[in-house]
Formats: sequence, structure tokens, C-alpha cells
Amino acid sequence: MAEMWINMGPQHPMTHGLWNLRVKVDGETIVDAEPEVGYLHRGIEKICENRTYPQIIPLADRLCYGSSLTWSHLYCMTVEDLMGVEVPERAEYIRVVTLEMQRLASHLMWLAAYAVDLGMMAGFIYSMRDREVLVDLLQSLSGSRLTYNYPRIGGVAHDLPPNWDREALRACNYIETRLKEYEDLYEGSKIFMMRNVDVGLLTKEDALDLGVTGPPLRASGVRYDMRKDRPYSVYSDLDFEVCSRPEGDCFARYRVRIDEMWESCKIIRQAIQRMPKGKWRTVAPRNAPVGTGLGRVEDPRGEGMMYVVGDGSDKPYRLKIRSPIFITVSAAPSMLVGYKMADVVAIMGGLDMCIGECDR
Amino acid sequence: MNLFQFCNGIIVWLVELVNNLWYWLGDVLPWYFGDFFTGIGDFAGSHGHIVVMTIVLESLMVIIVALINVLNFIWLDRKLSGRIFDFYGPYYVGYRIGGWLQNLADGMKLFVKEIIVPAKADKLGFLLAPVIFVGSSFLILATIPLSPNFGIATNESGEFVTAGVLFAFAAFAIAPFSILLAGWSSNNKFTLIGGMRSAAQMMSYEIPLLLTVASVVLLAGSFSFVGIVDAQHDIWFAIPLFIGLVVFLVCIAAEVEVTPFDLPEAEAELVEGWTTEYSGMRFGLFMMTSYLRGYAGGALATALFLGGWQGPSLIPDEIWFLIKAYTVFVVIEWMRWSLPRVRVDQILELGWKRLLPLAVLNLLIAATFKTMGWFSG
Amino acid sequence: MREGGRSNQDPTGNIERAPLTIGEDPEEHVLRTINDEFGKSVEGSERVRAGLIRARLARDSLYDACKLLRDDLGFEHLSMISAVDYPDRFEIVYHINSYQSNIMLELIVKLPKDDPTVDSISSIWGGANWNERESYDLMGIVFNDHPKLERILLPKDTMYHPLRKDFRM
Repeated sequence: MAEMWINMGPQHPMTHGLWNLRVKVDGETIVDAEPEVGYLHRGIEKICENRTYPQIIPLADRLCYGSSLTWSHLYCMTVEDLMGVEVPERAEYIRVVTLEMQRLASHLMWLAAYAVDLGMMAGFIYSMRDREVLVDLLQSLSGSRLTYNYPRIGGVAHDLPPNWDREALRACNYIETRLKEYEDLYEGSKIFMMRNVDVGLLTKEDALDLGVTGPPLRASGVRYDMRKDRPYSVYSDLDFEVCSRPEGDCFARYRVRIDEMWESCKIIRQAIQRMPKGKWRTVAPRNAPVGTGLGRVEDPRGEGMMYVVGDGSDKPYRLKIRSPIFITVSAAPSMLVGYKMADVVAIMGGLDMCIGECDR
Repeated sequence: MNLFQFCNGIIVWLVELVNNLWYWLGDVLPWYFGDFFTGIGDFAGSHGHIVVMTIVLESLMVIIVALINVLNFIWLDRKLSGRIFDFYGPYYVGYRIGGWLQNLADGMKLFVKEIIVPAKADKLGFLLAPVIFVGSSFLILATIPLSPNFGIATNESGEFVTAGVLFAFAAFAIAPFSILLAGWSSNNKFTLIGGMRSAAQMMSYEIPLLLTVASVVLLAGSFSFVGIVDAQHDIWFAIPLFIGLVVFLVCIAAEVEVTPFDLPEAEAELVEGWTTEYSGMRFGLFMMTSYLRGYAGGALATALFLGGWQGPSLIPDEIWFLIKAYTVFVVIEWMRWSLPRVRVDQILELGWKRLLPLAVLNLLIAATFKTMGWFSG
Repeated sequence: MREGGRSNQDPTGNIERAPLTIGEDPEEHVLRTINDEFGKSVEGSERVRAGLIRARLARDSLYDACKLLRDDLGFEHLSMISAVDYPDRFEIVYHINSYQSNIMLELIVKLPKDDPTVDSISSIWGGANWNERESYDLMGIVFNDHPKLERILLPKDTMYHPLRKDFRM
């Protein structure tokens, strides 16, 4: 068969969103690839320039449907940095608990999508079912199931509901038992290992050069986790491991995410135990000072970052959002070339695409 | 009484019933009309006509049995996947019989949908492919008897054709052609790749499949299903030829394209593979036929390895046969819903480097048993 | 076949921390090196808070400075390129991160309104490629020697750069 370009997208089961991966195949082998994004561009950065600071929190939620809480939290952190607002300690702990729950939910959704990418319907159903536990908890906390609108500039919207912490601990126990089952289900399957090991190799040098962050970077042998190396909330008080693997293939990325889920359960337990009583919100000023603010968090997908420029009014002069997936997907060709067409879904699924934040 | 005699009786009774009309017309009408109707009656009562109509009726009954089995299979598959995935499966349509009518409802929905032919598709090939696929799949069932009394590939006294196995596998092997035709004529890159994959996969899995069948034929000393099942009177071939059974099931799963081997219609990378461009009932035919092939595969495994219709005579032979075929199908579906999909190079590697040597080993074992004289036939 | 199981916390997976001059704070080291090498073109440098330093640079020396930053000072990771449209100027803010010494450097380059061009650094950090395309797309900054300076988020035939302040919603 001669070489031909194939559009995998924008309407394609592989894409998990709305983007286009053009691949040039020789038979079944990929000789070139070119991602195209922008189908979901909503101009959030421009919209933000016409909204007051608190109005942007729900917009930041809409950046990523998989882990919306991370983004609203990141936005609040950035604006707090700009305004110089101190967040009460209880709010920080609540934020850490919800962030880790969001990470668990996001990774479970990734696992579900990854399983169905590889043709394993059972994994999809199981992961989505277990994600429900976390989503229900977050719903009882914030009132909504997908875009939570929970953090506020200077704290969180409300205190925890009664008995919520006990439910969260039970959810952790449940997720941990389920995680064991997933490990058996996936790694016990020889086909899963055949599809993942030594597929989509991303060397450490390439990962660093192309700006890949998050689980793909850690799976390539760079042990860098912002929660540990540049702790932002109260992560410095908590005891957890940075998960990394040296191989840099799809299996390493899968394994890093599973390990992160274990660590997230650990973090939730500690944070709930150490959570102090007290205020959960301070009043933030209406207008921001002239200056810049910078926020960085470890998103489930990589390094989320926001840069805000304040001009003294109640609206941001400029809000720049760094999406980890936007940069990671630009590194896709270096992972794809040389593998088979069926590996495209394994590799791109292993990156955990989220087009909402990528296109903004 | 076998199926032929049963159908023959029905046809003879029907013909006599209708011939009353023709001969009465011949009597009452003037000669130039009356001779015409009398002639019709004579033709209808002739031996050749009755035999042909009997065969048609037999085929119809086999097809109806197969379709009911397919409906059962789809329902069973949905219920089973529901149990595996922690939900109910079909429930509302026909809730008193466990949602069994859901398949009929889906079929009706597909019937009223528009059949879209892509503008640049090769129309003849596009429309012909499902017909070949469905037709060849029904052909497989032509020689598979559900019991010594239930099968159409017999002569008038109920003796089965001696080359039934050969015919069944020859019919099994037509499908790659129609799949390739469907993939190519759709004029779509995904369907083309799907068709190519399907052709490569089916051809490479035919060989170990037929080698295991050869081992069974060697042990039984017969090419007919009845002979093979009779040879398993003392011991099922699944026990001496266990490797063969495993290879056979894997190959059948690959031929039927269920999930570990459903590369030709891998929905994650190829949208829907070679069926991408099909819509309406033509897609429904493909889907139904894949279950039909699953039924055929289960029936073949039952007849070749699991002792066919043999079992305690509490329940009829046909039911024994179907129970075994359903069990095989459930095993295949269990595999389908819990395993990820393999890659195209891995599936060919598995076929040529693992299954082929195993099949040859199985043949060797069968030959050993045969030379030791443990199986006569 | 590799084994599954819990993560191997492989010590070789760690990044090598760069050797420091004895007794010198890494952030001061970076600031001093930038000031020494590009004294004339540095328009200001400060330490914002722990782990974050800021430097303003003339646009001519941007490429050389970035090369120095990556090769000698161990800034392996370009996090983000943000273009800001001030009333009198464009500013491009490069957030460059060092995994070795765990410092974030905020490198600000001022561009005049009538000539928003700057050298591309996508040959230094591959991750800058799409960042620069995005800045070109939304803000209209032209990056010299960029391998493929095309619109990325908006359609190819868009006539405007929407994040500029003169683009009214």
C-alpha cells in the first residue's frame, strides 16, 4: 500500500474530544504525524478580560471537563498571588482534599478511556463506576458533578458538610480495594502488557526538550512533581512519594498514574486527619493591584500554570493559561512515528487528552 | 422421523390439500381450462416437485432455527455483558421474558433507517457485500446437523452427506472476500484498512483452524458430522485433543472477530472498521451475521470436540447440541468483554508463530493416537 | 515481559542536581551569570520570591541568553510563553523552569507596538514551538526563524489577532 494521510479526527473515537491527528501511514506503520487542535477554542482568555475576578472561577472550571477543580483552584491561587491574599489553613486543607479527589476522579476517567481505547469494555465500566463515588462526594460538597465552582479567591465556598470527612475516608478505602483489582485486571492480562510495554517510547531528553510535563514526564524518568519539589498549598506538610519510572513507554505512563492514585488516597487520609478547625474563607479585595501573579499546580495531566496581569481594576488585564496537554500533544509526533496505527490510540490515550484545556 | 420425512409429510399433506382444488377446478371447468388445472395438479403431485419443496421447507426451518438462535445469542450476549459490567442489560422491551424482545425492537429500528450509499462508493460492490456475507454465513449451517434427525444435507432416506465438514469450512472461508469487498468498495481509508486487516487475519487463522479440524477428521475417520459425533461416543475429542480445542476456539474467535481479535472493526482506531460506511439494515445484517457466525462457530466446536448431541437422553438431542453450542458462545463472549484488543502485527504473530505449531502438534498427537489404534473408525 | 506491581522507586530515575559553586545560592548564581554575560542588555533583574526570579532583557540578546540558560544554567523546561498587550508596548514573558535547581525564571522581553518581532527559541526548546504559534495566532507576535509559524487555534483565514486590546468583543 502506498503512503497515505489519514485524518484521525475531528470526529473519531480515538480523539476523546475534538481534535485532529493527521497521520501518514505506510501500510499500518506511521511515518509522520501532525496534530491539529483548535476545534474547541472558546477564547476563554479573551472572555476573562471582560469579567471581574470572582466571575472567572466558573469559567476556569470549564477549562477541563476531567479535572475542573484543579483549574479553578489554580485560578484562585494565581489571583491570590496577585492580590496578596492569605488563605486560612483549613481552606488549604479542604482544597488539598478536593484536589486529590479530583485527581483520583480524573485518573479514573483516564483509565476508563484508556481501557476502551484498547478495546477493554470491562475496564471502562468499572472505572466509571468507581469514579461515581468521588463525584458523589464532590457533589455533596459543592452541589454539582462536573464543574464544581468550589474554590474562592481567599478560601473555599463553604465548609465541609457534616460527616463528609468520614465518607471521604470510606471512599479512599473503597478506591484502594478497587485499585488492587485494576492492577490485577490490567497487568494480569498479557494482551494489555503486549499493547503497552515498549510502545510510544519518549526518551528523557525528548521529554525535557519538548516541554512534556506531568505523568508522561515522570514516566520518562524525571522525578519532578510540583507538589513535592515546589509545594504550593499545604503539600509540604504531607507525606507522599513522587511516582516515577525510567522506561518512558505507555506502560510506564499507565503505572505512574496508578501509583499516583495510591498516593492520592494517602494524601486524602493525612489531610483529613490533620485538618484544623477554623475559618475557611477570607474576604478578598475587589480590585487587584497593579502587578503580576503566577500560579503553578500539578494538574493530573501535567503542569498547569496561569499568569495574570492586574491593572488596578476589578478585571484582569491579561490572563494567560498554560495547558499541559497543549504542549504534550505537540510532542505527539516524536512518540508516534515508527509504531503501528493501533498504537496511536494507546499512545494518545496514555497522554490523557483533554481538549477543553488544550484549546481554551 | 428425521427432518426430511417430517417436511416431506407436511408438503405431501399441503399438496394433497391444494390438489383437491386443482382437480375440482379441472372437473367443473370446460376442458380447455380444466386440463390446465389438472396439469397443475399433476405437476404438484409429482415426486420431483415434492422433493424440491421439501428441501425448501427444510432450509426455511434451519434458517428460522438459526435466526431464533441468533436472537437468543444477542440477548444472551447483552445480558452476560450486563452481568460482567454490573448493569442489567436489556430490560424494558419484553420485561416479562428478560428483555428478550429488545433485539426485535432494534431490528425494526434498523429496518426503517435509511440505507446511505456514499457518493463515491462502488455501488454494486457496496450493496453486494452484505448479501455475500450473510449468504455464505447461512451456508455454513447447511451441513451442520443439530441431531442425526435434524439437518438438511441428507438424502431422502436421511443419510448425511459425507463431506459435510469440508463444505462447512469452505463456506466459512468465503467471508474474507465479502469483507474485503465491503471495505474496498466503501471508498474510505478506514474501511480499506479494516478490510485488509480482516483478509490478512482470516487467512492466517484459516490454516491452524483447518489443521485442528484435520486432526479431528483423522481420529474420527470421517468427513461427515454424524460420523465425527458417533466417533465421540466413548470419549469426547476435547479430552485427547485439548490443545486442538483451545486452538480451535481461538481461531473461531478470530474468524468471528470478537474482541481480542476484532482488529478489522477496532472502533478505537478504525472508527468501525470495514462496516463504517454501512447504515440501516445493511449494518444490521453485518451485526446479525457476526452473531450467526458465532453460533456457527459454537456449533462446529460442539460437533467436532464436545460430542455433538450426545448426552443423557433426558432431554432431546437437539437441546443437548444447543446447550453445548451456547456454552462455547458464552466462553467466547466472556473473553470478548474482559480482554483488550491485540495489535495487527501481534495477531499475525500469534497466528503463525503460536497457533500454527500448536495445531501441528495437535495433529501429531491425533496421528499418534490413531496409530496406537485407540480410536477406530 | 516487564513485571507489574507497585512502582519501583528507581534512584536512577532521579534527575541529577547540578553542582553549585560552594556556598552560593542557585538563584543568585543565575542572576549573576545573566548579569555578567548580558550586562548591557539586561534591563533589570530581581528576585521576586523564593524560587522565582525575574529578568528583563533586550530582544536582540534573547536567543543567546536562552541558549546560555539551557546549556550552562540547566534550565531544561520552557513552561510558558505569554504575550501581553500593554498600551505602549508588547511584552513577551517566558517562564523557564529548571528542574535541577528548582528555579523558575521569568524572562520579560519588551517589543515595540509597530514591530512585534522577536527571535524564535523553538530551536532551543522544542516545547516553545506551539507556544510561539499560539502567541502569533492570538496576539500577532512574529517569531523570526520559526519552523512553521501558522495559526494554530483559530482558522487559517482569520483576519485578526483577538487577544490584542484593540480587538473589541
